[in-house]
Amino acid sequence: MWLPIFGLIVGVFLGLMTDIRIPAEYSNYLSIAVLAALDTLIGGMRAYLQNLYDERVFVSGFFFNIILAASLAFLGVHLGVDLYLAAVFAFGVRLFQNIAVIRRILLAKWSKSPEKSL
Amino acid sequence: MKIRSKHFVLSLVALVLGFMVAFSYSLTKKNTDRHKLSDQSWDREYSLRKKLVEEEEKTRKLQKELSYRQAEITRVENRFSSSEQNFAAITKEAEKYRMFLGKVKVKGEGVRVTLEDGEYRSDSDVNSYIVHEQHIFKVVNELFISGAEAVAINGQRFTRRSYIVCNGPVITVDGSQHPAPFEITAIGDPDVLEAGLNINGGVKDQLVNENITFSIEKEDELEMNPALGGS
Repeated sequence: MWLPIFGLIVGVFLGLMTDIRIPAEYSNYLSIAVLAALDTLIGGMRAYLQNLYDERVFVSGFFFNIILAASLAFLGVHLGVDLYLAAVFAFGVRLFQNIAVIRRILLAKWSKSPEKSL
Repeated sequence: MKIRSKHFVLSLVALVLGFMVAFSYSLTKKNTDRHKLSDQSWDREYSLRKKLVEEEEKTRKLQKELSYRQAEITRVENRFSSSEQNFAAITKEAEKYRMFLGKVKVKGEGVRVTLEDGEYRSDSDVNSYIVHEQHIFKVVNELFISGAEAVAINGQRFTRRSYIVCNGPVITVDGSQHPAPFEITAIGDPDVLEAGLNINGGVKDQLVNENITFSIEKEDELEMNPALGGS
């Protein structure tokens, strides 16, 4: 159970320590990738709560979404179309949907469990 | 084992996520820092620009003042030069007056008048055969009237303040004695001077009537020394 948290801490530490300078036009890719990662994470959490969680789907979705979002943004930059906006939109909508689902599930659980305990 | 691998994969995911988030965060922070820096530099540039404008304004003002001062200097210099010209004119005039006063050596064309005692004949008074001071007066006055600029008697400059005294066989001009023959030189227009002396019933005729040997000759170049002493 502590291993993922440890991994998170190490990741944050590495990210803060890394002193690589990326040109400003590539920061878009990074933000898109972050958004995709968050989306996948939240989606995984939802799936877990709905008992639909599949590790392979989660992990492959996590990395594939990151790469896809980054490449979409790359393509958009090279075509002169702000395609990363599509990714932002899609991921954003899905993020909110997933969070809403998670909230409802949690609320349902919370409202159920007191009944149980009572 | 299964749990372990699950945890491992999850931690890998967490690591990547944490890395990306942290990296993005630090990158954004750096960018904002840079923006702040550029803001500062913009401020600095603005203040420097303002300073530059102020300096230019000052420079323009100073240039205006400089041109004004230069104009003033030119004006003063003009005044100086005109007063210098005046000085030069005054100096020239003073030189001219000095010439008239006999204070400087003068040179020029003129006439030479020689008065000698007449040939003595024993039947009459000796006095009526020698040159008297009034003869010299006459000649000198006639020369001055005719426009002589400078007159000398036997080489001694004769000025307008000079005096002539008859002192026996000699005459005294300004205290120095001169014997006959008297040579009166005058600088001026020789034709006019000669005509003035030769006029009918004029000085020459009167002197010849008084038994004085009178001779006049034109000179191309006469030189006279300044009068000694006196003011």
